[in-house]
Amino acid sequence: MKTIEWGFLIVNYLFLGGLSAGLFFVSALATFLYKLEEPSPYTRIARLGALLAPWPVMIGCGLLVFDLGRWYRFYKLFLHLRLVSPMSIGTWLLVFFNLVSLVNCYAWLTAAQRNALFAKLPRALAFLRRFNYDIDPWRRHLAFLGLPISVGVGIYTGVLLGAVQSRPFWNTNLVAQLFLFSALSTGCAVLILGLARRERSVPELKLLYGLDICFMVLEFFIVLPYLIHGQLSVQAVQDSLKLILGGPFTILFWVFFLGLGLLTPLVIELLELVPVIVSNREFHYSRPIAAGAALLILSGGFLLRYIFVFAGQMSAIQ
Amino acid sequence: MAAHTKRYALVIDTKKCINCKACVVACRAEYNVPLAYSRPWLNEETRGVWPKLLAVSQPEQCHHCAHPACVRVCPTGASYQRADGIVVVNECDCVGCRYCMIACPYNARFFREDKGVVEKCDFCVKRLARGELPACVETCPSKVRVFGDLNDPKSRLAELISDREYRLKKPEAGTGPQIYYLM
Repeated sequence: MKTIEWGFLIVNYLFLGGLSAGLFFVSALATFLYKLEEPSPYTRIARLGALLAPWPVMIGCGLLVFDLGRWYRFYKLFLHLRLVSPMSIGTWLLVFFNLVSLVNCYAWLTAAQRNALFAKLPRALAFLRRFNYDIDPWRRHLAFLGLPISVGVGIYTGVLLGAVQSRPFWNTNLVAQLFLFSALSTGCAVLILGLARRERSVPELKLLYGLDICFMVLEFFIVLPYLIHGQLSVQAVQDSLKLILGGPFTILFWVFFLGLGLLTPLVIELLELVPVIVSNREFHYSRPIAAGAALLILSGGFLLRYIFVFAGQMSAIQ
Repeated sequence: MAAHTKRYALVIDTKKCINCKACVVACRAEYNVPLAYSRPWLNEETRGVWPKLLAVSQPEQCHHCAHPACVRVCPTGASYQRADGIVVVNECDCVGCRYCMIACPYNARFFREDKGVVEKCDFCVKRLARGELPACVETCPSKVRVFGDLNDPKSRLAELISDREYRLKKPEAGTGPQIYYLM
């Protein structure tokens, strides 16, 4: 009676949850880096990341709820905390992450945006206007508070799968890191997409490329040991890896995820950034290239989750 | 004799199984399980080359593991293990996330679309409370299934396990399955 229980809703949730975690993480990093005196490129990254971070994960949480047997029973998840269940830990992590990222989003609104937002409130909700506080000074504290939670959300999406001992495709200690770094690089990609729209955001793109290269290199060096260790592991793991080594997910994994979704954008960003650092050349600012690389990263991140969710459920101890 | 805690388990003597599926029918009648699913099922296998053929049918169901993976991953505690070792699902707490189905090495659980909850064999806890045997055990015409208390050395189950060779399924999953298949 083996069936695929977790389908597209879960794939999308894992992607959107990771995306939000990545956006928040990069935004929080930029918050720590920026200096209050000068409007620096870090500020624009931090603002855009903070403004975007809460929304994907909220949509993702909605998908999770609708994946349940009966959506209206979701509140039972909040009546329990079971520290041995990754899903229970994740539920609470998501609650805190949603809260912190929402408040952080509010903290990054400009005074004009805030006033416009409160002006739009219908009369019935007019009492909410008293919350029109300026919480700009909280930004660093919120970043400090949210950073570990965003890392937690990024890791947890992988632990959720990795903690299942009966699915050898998932049950390695590498899946959590793989998902984390993929999540961080998708967050970077969305920020690159968002900032490349502007006329000249050279310093922003340089910083984002640098971060993104780090995340993707780490991701690549997790994929490699995942494959090598899998081949050197017990029979069940070797069998499960056949799903991507000659099985139904082979082309999707090697060509579309590893080739187009990870290595191609990595090479693009390296070619863009390395000459600037090594030979001090001027940054080759190309919006189509930046957007192209970002879109490839996003599709790669989505495919990674797609492959893992479906292949994992097809793997089993024989 | 001093009171001891019970640890229910099941012995299955595969060689006696005639593949009549009476266990499946009895269970379905007892719990009104939809036709698409079944709590116990039979793994059928044909070995050898004609004319030397061997047809094997092996009953399977929830193994009521000692360290159940389904219980560990359940986010609400709806899946839990009773003191007597039986793993049950509390339908009131089940949210239908189906994490337990993914975690089960035996695929012993199924999702009831009509109720929105996960269901599986519970060793007929209601019948046990009345002092009866599980429906599949009682109905089996060739006495394939022996149900009993592992901690009672005088039980038929404990005798079989100590006298006969048996094998466990997928012990490498680390869940400590409690269905003993006699060799």
